[in-house]
Amino acid sequence: MALIDFQTALGRMLREQNRDDYRRDISLDEGESRYFENLRDTAEFRFYAGVQRSWCIARATKAAHLTLSLLPPEERERLLDEWVDSGSGAQSFFFVEAESFLDFIGAYLVNRPREFTVCQFERATLRASNGANVFVSPDPATLKQPDCCVRRGSYAAVVRLAEVFSDGVTVMFSPGLPQLWHEPSSEEMDLWEALDSPTSVSTLLDSGHSLETLERLLTHGAIEYSD
Amino acid sequence: MPDNSVLSLNGKPTQPLGVGFPYFAALPADLYRSDLVSFVEITPETLCRQRANGTTTQIEIIPDRIATAQDTCARLPVVVHGVELSIGSAHGLNDAYLQMLDSFQKEWPFVWHSEHLGFQTIAADNDSTLEIGVPLPMPATVEAVELVAGRSTAIQQRYSVPFLLENPAHYFSALPADPEIGNEYGFLTAFTEKSGCYLLLDLHNLYCNAVNHHFDAREVIDTLPLDRVIEIHVAGGSWRDGFWMDAHDGRVPEPVWELLEYVLPSVPNVAGVVFELLEDYAIRLGAPAIENELKRAWQIWNVRHGAN
Repeated sequence: MALIDFQTALGRMLREQNRDDYRRDISLDEGESRYFENLRDTAEFRFYAGVQRSWCIARATKAAHLTLSLLPPEERERLLDEWVDSGSGAQSFFFVEAESFLDFIGAYLVNRPREFTVCQFERATLRASNGANVFVSPDPATLKQPDCCVRRGSYAAVVRLAEVFSDGVTVMFSPGLPQLWHEPSSEEMDLWEALDSPTSVSTLLDSGHSLETLERLLTHGAIEYSD
Repeated sequence: MPDNSVLSLNGKPTQPLGVGFPYFAALPADLYRSDLVSFVEITPETLCRQRANGTTTQIEIIPDRIATAQDTCARLPVVVHGVELSIGSAHGLNDAYLQMLDSFQKEWPFVWHSEHLGFQTIAADNDSTLEIGVPLPMPATVEAVELVAGRSTAIQQRYSVPFLLENPAHYFSALPADPEIGNEYGFLTAFTEKSGCYLLLDLHNLYCNAVNHHFDAREVIDTLPLDRVIEIHVAGGSWRDGFWMDAHDGRVPEPVWELLEYVLPSVPNVAGVVFELLEDYAIRLGAPAIENELKRAWQIWNVRHGAN
């Protein structure tokens, strides 16, 4: 049996435990097909499948600990099963896996404001902490150059917690802040709202936004230069 | 910067390192500054993040993490123990990992470089790469040996330090095999002959396989090319669903210590023994228990090397 066929069949059998077409596009003769069919019935394959599944679930659970903790156990289990059944949960780098799972769970919770807000909060925390690993505060002097454009920061987010706290706190996440978030001023929120797409600095200044606010959010990573 | 010219490419150690331990940022730095740790094993991916770049991905070293690790381990020689290469994947290995390792070596030269024998990715239906979620063993076939040996030779040349392949723990009792290779341990012999590379003998992986597949680990050790063993791992595991699992979740079982006592007199080029743990379990186990395991490893090492 060709090495690539062996690996593809075995890898698919473990990744796609609810599917039977692991042999698609693979050339296996009768004996090779029998090998895999027999393997699927063994305790050792079931053990591997259990380990694979539990590792995938553990990665997702670690990614969305806060959001999952709000859900009843049966619902939590069903969501994790659905995630792993779709072939997800196998990525080894935490932030990649975590962001994908929080997107998945966020789409599921979109009509449940309280849980959805917590999910957004957890995702924003994750993104900002990932960004903090590599964030270098840019030189604000570039803001004064002609044709300079800015946009919302790649690792920044704003989350309104009105669905969670009665006083309706809004928090802004930025990778350049030591604690990753702060409660934005009205000027900062106005600027954030204005940047739903990349905008030139001159347009922002003409609209009444201040250079000081631009500089502050830029050095925090809440906004960034746009090409 | 520590002296990293301990081994030449012909694998002859000029200066054995002794007992090492993996680097974990969460453990007290004092552990790496004590006499119990004479070299550190780094898994570079733990100091990195993955980032999409168009249709490809990049693995980037996180500057703060490597700086902290270098500060903690400043006095120690470093060896690299990777997990993301997927050296046995027939559809292609992880080029992003090697590109990251190029940068890593410039920042922090290492004495040798090791990887796990196995594969953990396959090609997706659209030819992108799919992670399986667990590492899987290679069949003992000529094609598999040639693939891994060829890649290993290239890697050894790329970094100009010895490249070691680790025997894996796995749970399949009947893997495909060609008669010329025989079995997974014949794979290791054929690999060293064809590649000119070296072995990381993981005694806990061997113990796992011996327990789960019912063979005598010492008989297997006697068949291996022991002159190619540069590093040895010891680790702990636990029972799960009727299998002894390579969980790296605690102390080293007594039979694994006995295997270390058995094999050390027979590995003339061995340069170090590492006590392996996963980070979460290292935190739970705590520094005092880790120190006890390291002391035990030193006792066995010193008998072999004639130290007090």
